[in-house]
Amino acid sequence: MRLDPRTKLYMILIVSAVVLMTATTPFLWGVRILMTMVPIALLFLEKRYASAVRFLVFYGVALALTFFFLSEESSGILTAILIGYCGIVVQFLPAMITAWYVVRTTKIDEFMSAMQRMHVPDGITISLAVVMRFFPTIKEEYMAIRDAMKMRGIMFGGGNALKMIEFRMIPLLFSCVNIGDELSAAAITRGLGGKGKRTSVVELKLHIQDWCLIFLFTVAAGIFVAGKYFL
Amino acid sequence: MGNNKLAAKDFITIGIFTALLFVVEFACGMLGYIHPYIVASYVVMIPLVGSIPMMLFYTKIEKFGMLSIMSVLLAIIMFVTGMGYLGAPLIIGAGVIADLIAKSGKYKSFKKTILSHGVFCLWICANYFPVVVTADSYRQDLIDGGYSTEYCDNLFRAINSKTIAVLLVLCFVFGCIGAVVGKAVVKKHFEKAGIV
Repeated sequence: MRLDPRTKLYMILIVSAVVLMTATTPFLWGVRILMTMVPIALLFLEKRYASAVRFLVFYGVALALTFFFLSEESSGILTAILIGYCGIVVQFLPAMITAWYVVRTTKIDEFMSAMQRMHVPDGITISLAVVMRFFPTIKEEYMAIRDAMKMRGIMFGGGNALKMIEFRMIPLLFSCVNIGDELSAAAITRGLGGKGKRTSVVELKLHIQDWCLIFLFTVAAGIFVAGKYFL
Repeated sequence: MGNNKLAAKDFITIGIFTALLFVVEFACGMLGYIHPYIVASYVVMIPLVGSIPMMLFYTKIEKFGMLSIMSVLLAIIMFVTGMGYLGAPLIIGAGVIADLIAKSGKYKSFKKTILSHGVFCLWICANYFPVVVTADSYRQDLIDGGYSTEYCDNLFRAINSKTIAVLLVLCFVFGCIGAVVGKAVVKKHFEKAGIV
């Protein structure tokens, strides 16, 4: 199922806003969980089964732990850490799943033309597009650096925290700067930053499924806010 | 470069360094869930570690607007990852002021760069804004949201409207120290290699 990037951005907006407000009653938890299930279902529809299942299990375990095993009175260092991590997972994972879904399924040209249609300034659009594309790249580069270090038997920089940071950060910066140069060369070849108005191959149009999702999320957010503050 | 308008290349540079800075922030942020006092120590960690990419970024700044755009992006990312919109004015404000300071040194003066990085680091305090501004309801939210009472007590002992001033100052000071450290690292590795 193809969704318009604008719908996806709207989803991010709503989910991030809801994430800021904690659920206090079982009903609100229900709304929240329902809203989390939508991006997971979308991931399934996009045939990204592995990540969808991973998110589902992760979220499910954290929810189960929070509800059934942990309470306000629990103490001890291990439970404290566990509570902390479950807290962050339950609280922020919905936003992360949505963001992940959007980053992974939006093509960069779709994103650009959507932003253009919404009259966002070019500077923000281009920079944001680069940020979106760059997180996976950083991860890849980091993995490569870690492998290289492992091969030479360097672990944790000899226990020296400063070295630990230096050994990882410097090569990462080197490769990122180089990738950046290549990226700008590629972008300029495609006429980015030219004077003319850019056209796009993809025709953006809000389809029926877009309107349905926008409607769904608006209603869910409305119910959430109403349930939290007015009832 | 003669003209003062930002080109596509600059935007790409901004994007890359914003992503890097955010990775640093995120890595440090993960530690914060172990103990609340670590949350307070963000003001030390992030300026110091983040200064290395930032100093490399500073060597690439030639025009007004790059730091400002970066701060806008940071505000957007903070919102998307659920940190809230309360800090956005602070982030963008710090970015624009840092940009103006660096501009007054024509982006070359090292003294101005130190000062500018110190100001820019104030954006980290935006992390604390929900804690300070909406203290009571936020506390209740955290407890309802599954955090232990102990964590909350410690968190609010470390961060409240009294300590926020100290944290802001610390941010600035360590931003300046970070600038010096970062500059040294950049010099050691990148200038020798001829990257900058």
